[in-house]
Amino acid sequence: MTFPRRAALPVLALTALTALALALTGCSKPQPVLHVYTWADYIQPELIRQFETQTGSRVVIDTFDSNEAMYAKIKAGASGYDLITPSSYMVSIMNREGLLRPLDHAKLPNLKNVDPEYLAIALDPKMQHSVPYMLTNTGIAYLKSKVPDFQASWSAFDRADLGRRVTMLNDMRETIGAALKFLGYSLNTTSDQELEQARDLVIRWKRNLAKFENEQYKSGLASGEFVMVHGYSGDIVQVQGENEDIAFAAPQEGTSVSCDDLVIPKSAKEVDLAHAFVDFLHDPKNAAANSEFIGYLCPNSASYPLLPEEFRANPAVFLDPAVRARSEVILDLGDENRKYTRVWDQIKAAD
Amino acid sequence: MAARAPRPGPAVPEGRRSRGAEWSVTLPSFLWLVALFVVPSVIVFAIAFKPATPYGGIGEGWTLETIRTLGNPNYPAIVWRTIWLSVVTTVACLLFAVPMGYFMARAPKRRQNTLLLMVIIPFWTSFLVRIFAWKMLLHPEGLLKRALVALGLAGPDTQLLYNPWAVLLVLVYTELPFAILPIYAAAEKFDFRLIEAARDLGASPFRAFRSVFLPGIRRGIVTAMLVTFIPALGAYVVPDIVGGPSSEMIGNKIAQRTFVDRNLPEASALSALLALAVLLPTFGVLVLNRGRDLLAPKSENSP
Repeated sequence: MTFPRRAALPVLALTALTALALALTGCSKPQPVLHVYTWADYIQPELIRQFETQTGSRVVIDTFDSNEAMYAKIKAGASGYDLITPSSYMVSIMNREGLLRPLDHAKLPNLKNVDPEYLAIALDPKMQHSVPYMLTNTGIAYLKSKVPDFQASWSAFDRADLGRRVTMLNDMRETIGAALKFLGYSLNTTSDQELEQARDLVIRWKRNLAKFENEQYKSGLASGEFVMVHGYSGDIVQVQGENEDIAFAAPQEGTSVSCDDLVIPKSAKEVDLAHAFVDFLHDPKNAAANSEFIGYLCPNSASYPLLPEEFRANPAVFLDPAVRARSEVILDLGDENRKYTRVWDQIKAAD
Repeated sequence: MAARAPRPGPAVPEGRRSRGAEWSVTLPSFLWLVALFVVPSVIVFAIAFKPATPYGGIGEGWTLETIRTLGNPNYPAIVWRTIWLSVVTTVACLLFAVPMGYFMARAPKRRQNTLLLMVIIPFWTSFLVRIFAWKMLLHPEGLLKRALVALGLAGPDTQLLYNPWAVLLVLVYTELPFAILPIYAAAEKFDFRLIEAARDLGASPFRAFRSVFLPGIRRGIVTAMLVTFIPALGAYVVPDIVGGPSSEMIGNKIAQRTFVDRNLPEASALSALLALAVLLPTFGVLVLNRGRDLLAPKSENSP
């Protein structure tokens, strides 16, 4: 459910060095410090400098590489973070556990820019404790020259004419979810009957697959090893730079939409500054700069006209509104997750 | 550790060695084993009897529920695949390593060093990089594939990667040096005049090889079997990278339970099962070997 980020060691090292340099030199005058806990390479560095100048504060960034790792740390009582960017399903868990602070909309005038169409399917549509930050969706990417008559439907995985050079995500919720969407069910279903139908469908699709793959599908598609893959739009935008032949489509039956949200933990110290940063990130100009830098979409309607034409025309960035209406956010199902695990085991074991 | 204790020189007879010195020599490796092997294993076994919480934690109290999940009807297929891949890997490694060890031991001393170097050189490259190199070699648009198609040995849609055979091939490739080294070490100490003697007494070349050479390097063969079979049983990276949708091994299931399902107790139960599957044959072989060595006549060629 987490989506992979670009490795960012140099950036990390630089951030750490900068932080150190600032810590050594900036002792003389007390300066408010905003501690942000986020994914690597997930805020345009120029924006951070702007915010620091505007508010006379200092932004310190710490990174995590999985929602679970972040959750474990916060749950264990780590304090000192003022702003975190977990995926939506983890936001619900954290909210249920009482780890989040309700947002003060009076301090967030830019929330009027947040895309209402996304909010309609969001887990926290009123933005009571979270503000959507970056949006990505799952879909099908393929090589235009190798996949004739491509149809934007999950049924593409039924095609036996692609020589098994096809992958689906090694992620039970995404792959079983694709089958559920194709069958017209919710990808958050807990109905045993619907899950069994989805299982049989994935087992049928599996005969056309090279493998279930979460990472290598990107390089595999770019090198022509695979001709069609099930993957995350953000990843595809990145490899499209390497191979012009790659196209992306969101299946018409609907797909899964993931969003990372901005949340302020209960233990935050700089609550006002954190609100100011959330508002700053939803300033249309900043939101556009950030989307372009990261390759995901900040769901901020006022920022859309500011994006470059090419970026706006890319279906990997902008989900067709009709498809988006049929798409869903993957929910955390708690104990019901076991049903998916069982079905996934059966899929993996089947021949 | 205990640096001041007088170290007995090599000339001191076995019996007179002081207990303290013996301890000071054994202690570092003993502590190493306890801290990095015994304690983690006990923790793994203990977690297998704990309940799981939905968010990846380990619950309170004790339960047998996790052990019952080992009865999962989907496991036998994976266990069977793991076992046959490991057995075939071991047999294939031995089939390559025994002639190779024999050839290396019979080569002139300088050539032996060159050959040894060639066996070791692949270790200078990261294990992961070497597996990715196989992905390049077996790439559907790669040279090998095109050559096979040109020779009519493969169709244009034949997949060389992402099936159990690719897993087997890469497993044999990665384990082979570990089989060659102990067999070469044993063969190098083997007295080849024994084979000449056998031939003089009328044995056929094959008979001499089978009845004199193979028993002579038995220890090397047993070591080679253990060091190929055990890592193959626990393989995870190879089937993950070159395996297909139906090439899962136990290692992959443990990874799924840990990273995807966030169910540490079930991962621990599987790991414990795997650890037992590895430890029991190892102890068996060790006990068997010791028994044989005690029974074997002293004159047999042994280092």
